[in-house]
Amino acid sequence: MISKATHIADTKGLLGMLPTIEAPSPDYLFIATENARCSKSEIFIKEGDHVYLGQTIGMRHGAFFDQPIHTTCSGTFVGIEKHYHRSGKLVPCLKFLNDHLDEWDPSLKPRTQEEIDALTKEDYVEILKNVASVGLGGSSFPTYVKFQGKHEIKTILVNAIECEPYVSADHRLMLEKPEDVIEGCKLLQKAFQCTDVRICLKSKYHDLIEVYTEILKRHHGSGITICRVGNFYPQGWEIAMIKAATGIEVETRHLPGEYGIANFNVSTVAALVQAIKYNRPVIERLVSVTGDGIRYPSNFKIRIGTQLAALIDMCGGFNDDGKEKVVILGGPMMGASVPSIDCIVSKTVTSCIILNAEAPKEEPCIRCGSCVLSCPTHLEPQQIMAAVKANDKERIKALKPLTCIECGLCTYVCTSKIRVTDFIRRAKVIAKLP
Amino acid sequence: MTSTIIVEKAPHLRRKDSLARMLIDVLIALAPTAVFAVVVYGFDAVRNLGVSWATMVLAEFVFVLIQNRIKYDGTKHSFKEQIKAGVSGYSINNLLAPSISAVIFALIMPARLDPYYLIYPALIAGSLFGIVIGKLVFGGNGSNIFNPAAVGMVFAKLCFGSHYVYNSRSFYVTTGGTPLTNAITEVSGLNSLTGKWTGIESVPLANLFFGQVGGTIGEAFKITILIGMAYLLIRKAADWRIIASYLGTFIVVMSLAGAIICTRENLSFFRFLAFQLLSGGMLFGLAFMLTDPVTSPINSPSRFIYGAFAAAVTCIIRLFGALPEGMVYSILLGNLIAPALDYYKWSSSRWNRRYVIILCCVIGVALLATGLGLGFGGEVVA
Repeated sequence: MISKATHIADTKGLLGMLPTIEAPSPDYLFIATENARCSKSEIFIKEGDHVYLGQTIGMRHGAFFDQPIHTTCSGTFVGIEKHYHRSGKLVPCLKFLNDHLDEWDPSLKPRTQEEIDALTKEDYVEILKNVASVGLGGSSFPTYVKFQGKHEIKTILVNAIECEPYVSADHRLMLEKPEDVIEGCKLLQKAFQCTDVRICLKSKYHDLIEVYTEILKRHHGSGITICRVGNFYPQGWEIAMIKAATGIEVETRHLPGEYGIANFNVSTVAALVQAIKYNRPVIERLVSVTGDGIRYPSNFKIRIGTQLAALIDMCGGFNDDGKEKVVILGGPMMGASVPSIDCIVSKTVTSCIILNAEAPKEEPCIRCGSCVLSCPTHLEPQQIMAAVKANDKERIKALKPLTCIECGLCTYVCTSKIRVTDFIRRAKVIAKLP
Repeated sequence: MTSTIIVEKAPHLRRKDSLARMLIDVLIALAPTAVFAVVVYGFDAVRNLGVSWATMVLAEFVFVLIQNRIKYDGTKHSFKEQIKAGVSGYSINNLLAPSISAVIFALIMPARLDPYYLIYPALIAGSLFGIVIGKLVFGGNGSNIFNPAAVGMVFAKLCFGSHYVYNSRSFYVTTGGTPLTNAITEVSGLNSLTGKWTGIESVPLANLFFGQVGGTIGEAFKITILIGMAYLLIRKAADWRIIASYLGTFIVVMSLAGAIICTRENLSFFRFLAFQLLSGGMLFGLAFMLTDPVTSPINSPSRFIYGAFAAAVTCIIRLFGALPEGMVYSILLGNLIAPALDYYKWSSSRWNRRYVIILCCVIGVALLATGLGLGFGGEVVA
C-alpha cells in the first residue's frame, strides 16, 4: 500500500471510558537506584532504617544534573535487590517494607497561599530540583531545566495529546482531575509571568473538550484556553504540537524556549501542584495496562515502585492462548520492551502494554515510498536504509539521519515488513562518528 | 502465566498490510483486461498468457534455487539437499511477482506473427530476456532498474518486429495495423509532420474506446484498463502522483501539438486530443507499468517529475519519432532517470526550488520541442 500513515488502530476508545482503579499500595515497594539519564547513585540510609513517605534517601548522579531519590511509602528499608527497569536493564533496586501508615516526612511542610504567591522562578527551580520533578510523559527530562531558560516565554503549551495508541493514562487524569490540571496551569502562569496557556487536546476527544469547556467557564479571564489539534500520530511530538498550536516551526537543534514557548506534559503539570503546594514528590501515577495479550485491560492509580507482576495479576493475567507475548513499558510505538515481568514501575511509565508477538517475515523492499510519505521529519528512510546496507558513510551523513525522532512510523507502514527504524538507529550511530 | 515473553525493538505495531496483498491487487487489476483478451482472441490470448507465465515463473524458480543454494562450507551436499534448501527460500511473492510481469508481457504482445509459429520463440525469448536481464540479474524482487515486461517486449520487438501483424480478430470488426500506424500510413503522399495526422478522422472514437481496433491483445479495450487503474488507485497499489503528472503533462503537450496541427490541417482539436489519449498502449502502460513502485523514484516530488518526463518522451516519440508508439520506450527511459532523481546529493522528500526547476524544464523542453518542431517543420518533408 502506497500511503501515508494517518490512523493507527488501537483500543484506546474503549479503555478511555473505564474509570481508574485505585490499586492498594503493595507490601513491598522498589525504587531503582539508576535510570536512563543517571548512571551513578549514593544512598543515605542503611538496612533496617525506618523511612517516611517522601523522604529523600539518596542521590542519583547524571551527566549534567543530580536527582534526589524519594521513598514512595513509609516503612522499613529492607535491602537491595536486582530487578528490571524500564530501560530493559537489570538494575539494583532499594526494597522497602510498607507499613501502610503513609506517614509523610515531617520536614516536608506545605506552603501557604502567600508563600506560593511570593515564589519566583528561581524558587521554582529549587523546589522542582528537590522533589526530582521530571517529564512524566515518558521523557524523564528534568522539569526545572525548562524554568532556567533565559528567554522570555510568551506561550505555555500543555501537552495532553497522548498520541501513542493504546495509552490512556493522561486521558483519565484529564477527566478525573481537571482542577489539578487547571491549578497547575495557574502556577505555570505565575512562574513564567505569562497568561497565554493552551491545553492541547486531540480534536476527536469530545468528552475532554466538553469537560474543559465547562471547567474553564469557572476560571473566566484566566487566559487558559483549549487548543484542538490533529488526531494523528505523532501529533504529541513537541515540534508537531507547537506547529499545530501556534504555527511556529521549531528548527532542528533549537529549543522551543528560543521561540518563546514552554511546553509541559499534562501529568507533569498536575504533579506540579503537589510539589509547590505541599512540597511533595510524585508518589503515585496513572498507568494503563492494556493490549491484546492481557485478560482485562484496566486503568490503575498505583504507587511508584509497584512490581509489574502485581499489576498484571490485578488485570487477570495474560491471555492463556499459548502465544508469545511482548511486554512494553510506554506506548507501543516508542516504548521499550522488557525481558521479564519482574520489573518495577517507575514514575515515567505511562502504560504497560502486552501484545501477542508477531514477527512477520521480511520481504525485499519494493520502494513503495510509504516510509518517505509518513516520516514526520521529512527524511527518506528507504534511502538511509540502502546507505546503511552499503555502509556508505558519506551518503548516510548527507541524508541527515540525526533529525530522526525514532517515532517508528517507517517500520509501522512498511509493506515489506522491514524494521526500517533499526536501520535508521544504526545510521544515527554511524553519522555521529567523525 | 505460561506465556513466554520475548524482547523486540520499538515499534511494536505493524500496519495490516503485506507485499503479497499489494501484488495480488495488481493481478486483480489486470484480470478484467486479461479476461477480455481471452474472450476476444480466444486461444491466441490463452497461449500468450500461458507461455509467458510458465517461462517467467520457471525462470524465477530456478533463480530462487540458485540464490538459496547451500554455500560452500567444506562438506559436500547432495543434489537433493541443495534443492531442499533452495525450495525453503521460495515464498508466495516469488510466484506473484513474475506472474504480474508475465501477464503484462503477454498483454502487450500481438496475437499472431506471420508466419504464425514464430509467436512461440517470440514469447519465450521475450519473457526470458525480460525476467532474466530485466530483473533477476539485478537480484530479483525489488532490485530491478527496468520494468521486466517492458524489457521483454522491446527485445521481442527488436528480434521479431518485422513479423508482427495486428490484423487477426475473431470478434468485432477487423482493421489492419494499430490506429497509430494506420492513421499515419493510410494517407500516403502527405508525409509531413502535421499532415500525417489527417488520417485519424477515419477512426471513430467509439471504436478506439471499445477496443474495436487492432493492437496488442491487452491495450485496445480501454474500459477494462480504466477499471484496473481505478482499482489500483482505490487500493493504493499505484501512486496517484505518477498517473496525475503523466496525464497532466501528456494533455498539455498534446494540446499544444493539437493547436498547431488543427490550424494547419482540416482536423478537430478535441478529436485529435481524444485520439491521442485513447490510441495505442498509453493507458495500459500508464496504469500497470509506469506505476510499478520498484522502478519508480521514491520521493513524491521525484514521482511527479518521473511521470512528467515519461509523458514528454511519449509525446515527442509520437509526434516526431520514427516509431508510431513510444509508450514502452518512455517507460524504460523514465526507469533510467529514476535513480538520478533520487540521488542523495539532491534528493528531498519535500518540494524545493531544484525540483520545481527540473519539473518546469521537463515540461518546458517538451513544449518547446513540440512548438518549434511542428511550427517550423510542418511543411518540411520528414
